[in-house]
This record gives sequence, structure tokens and C-alpha cells, in this order.
Amino acid sequence: MSREEALKVIESVLSQDRTAMVEYEAKQVLKAYGLPVPNEKLAKTLDEALKYAEEIGYPVALKLMSPQILHKSDAKVVMLNIKTPEELKQKWEEIHENARKYRPDAEILGVLIAPMLRPGREVIIGVTEDPQFGHAIMFGLGGIFVEVLKDVTFRIIPITERDAKKMITEIKGYPILAGARGEEPADIEAIVNLLLKVSELVNDLSDYIKEMDLNPVFVYEKGKGAVVVDARIILKVPEKK
Amino acid sequence: MAERIVEEMRPFFDPKAVAIIGATNKKGKVGNVIFENFRMNKERGIFKGNIYPVNPKLDEIEGYKVYHSVKELPDDTDLAVISIPAPFVPQTMRDIAEKGIKAVIIITGGFGELGEEGKKLEREIYEIAKANGIRVIGPNCVGVYVPDTGVDTVFLPEEKMDRPKSGPIAFVSQSGAFAAAMLDWAAMAGIGIGKMVSYGNKLDVDDADLMDYFLHDDEINVVTFYIEGVKDGRKFMEAAKRITKVKPVIALKSGRTEYGAKAASSHTGSLAGADAIYDAVFKQTGIIRAEDFEHMFDLAKAFAALKHKLPKGDRIGIITDGGGAGVMASDAVAKFGLKMAELSEETKKFLKERFPPHAVVGNPTDVVGDTDAERYRLAIEAFTKDPNVDAILVIVLFQVPLLEEDKIIDILAEYQKKSDKPIVAVAMGGRKTDRYARMLEERGVPVYPTPERGVRALAGLVRYAEYLRKVEGE
Repeated sequence: MSREEALKVIESVLSQDRTAMVEYEAKQVLKAYGLPVPNEKLAKTLDEALKYAEEIGYPVALKLMSPQILHKSDAKVVMLNIKTPEELKQKWEEIHENARKYRPDAEILGVLIAPMLRPGREVIIGVTEDPQFGHAIMFGLGGIFVEVLKDVTFRIIPITERDAKKMITEIKGYPILAGARGEEPADIEAIVNLLLKVSELVNDLSDYIKEMDLNPVFVYEKGKGAVVVDARIILKVPEKK
Repeated sequence: MAERIVEEMRPFFDPKAVAIIGATNKKGKVGNVIFENFRMNKERGIFKGNIYPVNPKLDEIEGYKVYHSVKELPDDTDLAVISIPAPFVPQTMRDIAEKGIKAVIIITGGFGELGEEGKKLEREIYEIAKANGIRVIGPNCVGVYVPDTGVDTVFLPEEKMDRPKSGPIAFVSQSGAFAAAMLDWAAMAGIGIGKMVSYGNKLDVDDADLMDYFLHDDEINVVTFYIEGVKDGRKFMEAAKRITKVKPVIALKSGRTEYGAKAASSHTGSLAGADAIYDAVFKQTGIIRAEDFEHMFDLAKAFAALKHKLPKGDRIGIITDGGGAGVMASDAVAKFGLKMAELSEETKKFLKERFPPHAVVGNPTDVVGDTDAERYRLAIEAFTKDPNVDAILVIVLFQVPLLEEDKIIDILAEYQKKSDKPIVAVAMGGRKTDRYARMLEERGVPVYPTPERGVRALAGLVRYAEYLRKVEGE
């Protein structure tokens, strides 16, 4: 774990007069604190993209990184399940074209080449800053559970292991993680670990972080871990000390 | 630190001498009502301190010498209550500082709540207070009410507002109007309030200070808060964690949708309304959240009577003389996340041998409509001895013909005293029932008008007991 590595990314973003990190940058911050992120690489050219896809192994996903395009699916700059170099070449063109159509002025930092992940149960972990109590961490199941049912729970950071466990069991959707209707239970330990690491990260970088969404996080069966599929971090401009 | 806060706050609750700045003989004026409160309490022998009215234009009120300025006050003055117009308060604060008075209640409104000009006055007062080590309650508040010492700065006259009797509950309210209405209601409902503080704009004394004070106050065993907002969140959380390890704190938080419309750039931000954040704070600090006014005092009543014997688990035993009421209680047990106790074989055998065949032995145990007090006694006896029962809800429909009211009241009070399991009672009915309920409460048995409210109060006891076990484990 390294605060320095995370700060390097944060300072680079701030130096570009940005507060919203692109996914790749956010994941580097997470990675610096030992959170599980996929083995992804940022390709600036098609050649790099082909090389990385080979290294990661097909099928892969492409995600275009632009500070002006934070809602990637709206702009159609995510391409999934690319199986061959030929397909990759074709999608590379398409993804850039979509970006130009969506925001002609979009600055493109590169394209993230990511392995296709085995789907798991989706959860969301978030962070927001309250004016009275400081940073709070949120947990809930992903998808409609958060969008429609708002089945989420909060704690003020830092949290204890007991807080983390309680957060997971107190949401209404908990049976889905515990294993309803003969389904295998999800890796609750991995979620506890994630919550504690997010709490630690934010506690450590509280002068810099305003908001954060890890959404979705795939959680696999008990003992198989979890992985942060997509992440956003919004920075605040730190007060000069 | 403990001694310091106790020493700093003492004059607010038990002053040697109180100066009433802005005292007047004009009936109905704030400065008159507050003076009259102290004067009458002194006459009744409750307020034992000296009373010094201050008003430059008067020489005497009701036989009391009136001081023309703060500077002339006798040296034993340790509390000043201010009810003069806002623009004059800063100068008075300077005089108070010079005089060496360390506790001030500013009743006057017209400060921060009115905008920039008022905020400036408030800051001025704050700086004088800080520089001179003066503690301030208010401004824009009704102040303090302590039935045991006769401190009463509530400017609503007794003809218009009843005062509650003394009891082990502290009540803290940001809103003065709410505090006054609550005291009036508590008086009617027979709920004892040991200390009430309404702090208005919270210029100095805040929730955290009061929690630290009540932590060391032996007269108080449960603290209730009506909160609109908290200024220093971290200070609040630290103080809350300290007191909830020792005494229960119940909070009613208003403004549930305060940040509802707040634009947020992330998912989490848009879901984090003030309410979700307060929920988190309460969970992390062991504060029990009340859903509404009624819930707050239902809980306070249970804790006031039963704080010393919290349930060891969440298994509830129900005894009733009406089947329907028993079903309602069982539903409530599920609704509030508690468990129905599985009675032991001994309990069942004991009761079956003694009960008529039409009585229902089980959980709920239904002593049925032809019951007498003795049948209740047998059931309560068996339940208190049953290791599978953690807390007992006794529903008494006093209307049934053969039930001897005084006997059942004696029995409930007796078992409340000798059993280590908490007992709460439910008595549904009208005027006559209400009278028996009061008699029960005076003997240490909290009574609720519906099974649901009785079970909800028990759930509060169970959750707090669980919290205490967890923090002890850490």
C-alpha cells in the first residue's frame, strides 16, 4: 500500500485543473491501497491496444478514457467481449468515432484494455462528504437495488470491522449475498475487506477526496474474492497548508 | 475533564443566586414570567438561592430589591438570565464578564436566526464569553427547567403551561416551542423530567457539552434529544460514544429531507441525505433513534424504569387476558425484529397443571376473560423463572369482570422488583384504565396503551443492551 503512489495520481489530475478522475486514474488510486482491480492497461495507440490485448488474453473489453466523457455508456465508448485482433481494430475505430460524435472536443487519454470478467453479484461502495460529520461510506447491492429501491446503508469513516459486517447484513437485499434459493453464499469476507480498505484510503486521503463510487463491484462465491469493475473519484481542491 | 464540565454547568441547574436581567413588573412580559417562576418556586421552598432582578428603571418588584446594573449585583451571583433586546446584550455580557459570573442563559431572540446583523451580535457575545470563560445557553431559547432545584426560565406562565414532576429523564431541545409543548404534555402524561435544556442557537453550550454533563449527573438515567442539526459532528460523536456506554440516549431528528434536493455528482452523494448520515451517526454511537415524539417518550419511560435491568436477549414472553391483543403483540414482536420465546417444558407443565382447560398455555399465554389476578401471578412467576424468556410483556385488559385491579397492580410491581427480567405492561382502554396505568407506572412498571407501542419500547431496551454487549467486547 502506498500513499505516495496515490498522491502522484491525484496531483497529476489536479495539475490538469480537473477534479473528476477518469476510471483508469481512480483505479490506480484504489490499487495503491491494495483494493482488487482488474489487470487493465491504458493503450494510447492501436498497436499498444493489440499488444495489451494479447498479454491480457482475449476476449477483452475496451473503455475509452476522456475527462469530458464520464458517463461512458451514454456515449457508447465501452465495447465488450472483443474476441480477435481484427475485431479489436474495428472497434477501436468505432469507439473513437462515437467519442467524437458525443463530444467533438473530448480529450482522449487512451483506451483501457480490460479482461472480460466473470459476472458476480453486483454491489456498490461509495463515499461522500457530509458538512457536519465528514466522510461517510455507503454500501448496497448494485443495479435496481440502488437505483430504484435505494437499499443502501451508511457509516461515518473510519469504520470498524463490526461496522463493516453490520452494514452488509442490515441492507434488505442481504439474503441475495447470503445465498437465497440454493445459491452459494457470496464472499462476505471480501466485502468486509473492501469496506475497511476504502475507509482506510479515504481516512488517509480525506483532504483530497470528495466523492467516490465503486460501481459495480463483482462479488464472487465464498473464498473467491471480489473485484472493482468500475470506479469514479471526485477530488476536492486541497486547502493550502 | 469530567470535573470541569460538571463544575461549569452546575450554576445552570443549581445556582446560589440568579440575576434576572430585564426583570419587570409588567405581567406577561418575558422578564416578568421568569422572575415570577423563580419567586414562586422560592415561596414554595423549592428554589433555595437568592433572586436578584436587574432593571435600570425599577427599584422594587414584589418586595425584591431591583439592581440597576450588573455591576451592583452581590458577589454570590453565579447565574445570569438575560431577557433584554438583542442590541443591548453585548454590553451586558461585558459587565457580566467584569463581575465574574460564569454562566449565562440568553433567552432573547433576534440573533443569528435573523441574518447578518444578528450573527454579528452573536459573534461579539461569543468572543466575550470565550475570553472570560463564560458558558452560555442560548440565545433564542427557553433555557432551563429543573423541578428539584426550582430553576425555571421557561417564559410561558404556569397558568398557560403545566410543569412536569421530577424524574430521571433529561430532555434537550433545540427548539424552544417544542420544549415548552413537550413539558406541558409530559406534565399531563405523568412523565417525570429531571432536567430540561433548550439551547436555541447553540452559541456555546451544545449537545456534546450536555451529554458530557449528563454522563456525570446521578439524577439522570436517560437523555432525550430533539435535534435539528449538529454543528461539530466529530465532537458530537465522541461525546455520544462516551455517554451511551453508561446511559441510554434517545434522539428525535427532524428535517429528514434537509438535503433531499441537493445536487450531487455521484450515486452515493445523491443517496446521502442528512437522514442517512444521521442514521449512520446514531448507529455508530449507540444513540437510539426515535421515529416520532410518541416513540421518544415511550422509550424514555421504559429506560427510566428499567435501565438497571436490560434484557439479556431478544426473546419476548407475552401474557394476555385477550386473544386479539396477544396476536397484535406477536405481530409487533416480528415487526420490530424480536423473537417470540419458546417456553420451557417446565413452564408449560407448571401452568397446565394449575390453569383451567380453556386458558391457553404457550406464547402468548392467554389467561382469558374470566381471569383473576392469581392466574396472572402464576403466569408471571413461570415466565420470570423460564430461562428461555428474556423480557416479559403483560397485557392487562382491566375491563374483565373478575380481575382485582389492586391485586394485579401489586403483583406486577412485586415481580418487577424481584425479577431480573424487565416487565412492561400494556393496558388498552379508557378513563378507568388510564387511572390504573398511572398507578402501575408509579410503582415502576412502564405501561403502554397498545401492544405495538409496548413491544416497540421493549425493542429499544433489547437493542441498547445489544449495543452495550458489543462495545464491552471491543
